[in-house]
Amino acid sequence: MRKGSHRQLAADEANMGFQIAPMIDVVFVIMLFFMVMAGAVKVERELKTQLPGMAPSTPTEEKEMPDEIIVGVEESGAVTLNEEELDPADNKPLTNFTNALSRLKQDADNRGAKVLVTIQAEEQAKYERVIDVLNSLAKARVANVTFTVGSDQGF
Amino acid sequence: MAGGGGGGDGEPEFQIAPMIDVLLVLLIFFMSITSAQVLQIDKDIKLPVATDAKKKDGKNQINEGAVNVAYKANKAAIKFGSLSWEDNLEGLVERLTEMKRNNPSYRVIIRGDRTVPAVEIQKVMNVIGQAGIDDISFSALNNDN
Repeated sequence: MRKGSHRQLAADEANMGFQIAPMIDVVFVIMLFFMVMAGAVKVERELKTQLPGMAPSTPTEEKEMPDEIIVGVEESGAVTLNEEELDPADNKPLTNFTNALSRLKQDADNRGAKVLVTIQAEEQAKYERVIDVLNSLAKARVANVTFTVGSDQGF
Repeated sequence: MAGGGGGGDGEPEFQIAPMIDVLLVLLIFFMSITSAQVLQIDKDIKLPVATDAKKKDGKNQINEGAVNVAYKANKAAIKFGSLSWEDNLEGLVERLTEMKRNNPSYRVIIRGDRTVPAVEIQKVMNVIGQAGIDDISFSALNNDN
């Protein structure tokens, strides 16, 4: 009995050493997991805008009227620019709209004018589509954006 | 010179210690870039995707608050902080006004579900405007994976 426990103790002592190989295995697996996760990580981004009526106004300065563009977001998801439909609901990147907006922006920049975009979203239009429009505006580097939802409840 | 690679005539030995160092550094790197950007948003909200939106800078978090707009059973659920405000928008105006008064550079992020009707977001913008806050931003994701 005593002899047996002695043998057990000796075996335990022999296994007490730090095993480097399994540790490397585990570290490799954890690293692979994080490497894969790094590619699919979702990062929160933001589309900044300024609500009207709060910006400091300079009434004494003579201001040049900006080029106003009306962008419509219909309930169906169609996007219009000055009442002309450019992209249907299934075109998420809004390629035609973005290209048209970039051209208008470039034209206004050449003349030294500002571009003011008013988004008129129908009440039941999806917010996702409004964000698509804002994303296109960010792509075309248009900063002056105002919102109108519904018929007369502009904001 | 006594250096890595063992003796001069024998085969170079595999050095386990530097390898572990490198592995751990890589591990920490990948852990930090994944965990630092874990989204802390309402699970009921599925944010829309905007690939060209700017990255959020984490420096200004003290000066900002988030209004979450979820959409459940054809009804918008508006949350600011941990409280629901959809039935008490005047209360939300007061709360935001107070925040703006205490911190003049206070800004609001609107985190709306992608299915929310635009009119609900307009209501939230209206509330934020009434509170005297002009600096707002819309939250979106960089990808939809």
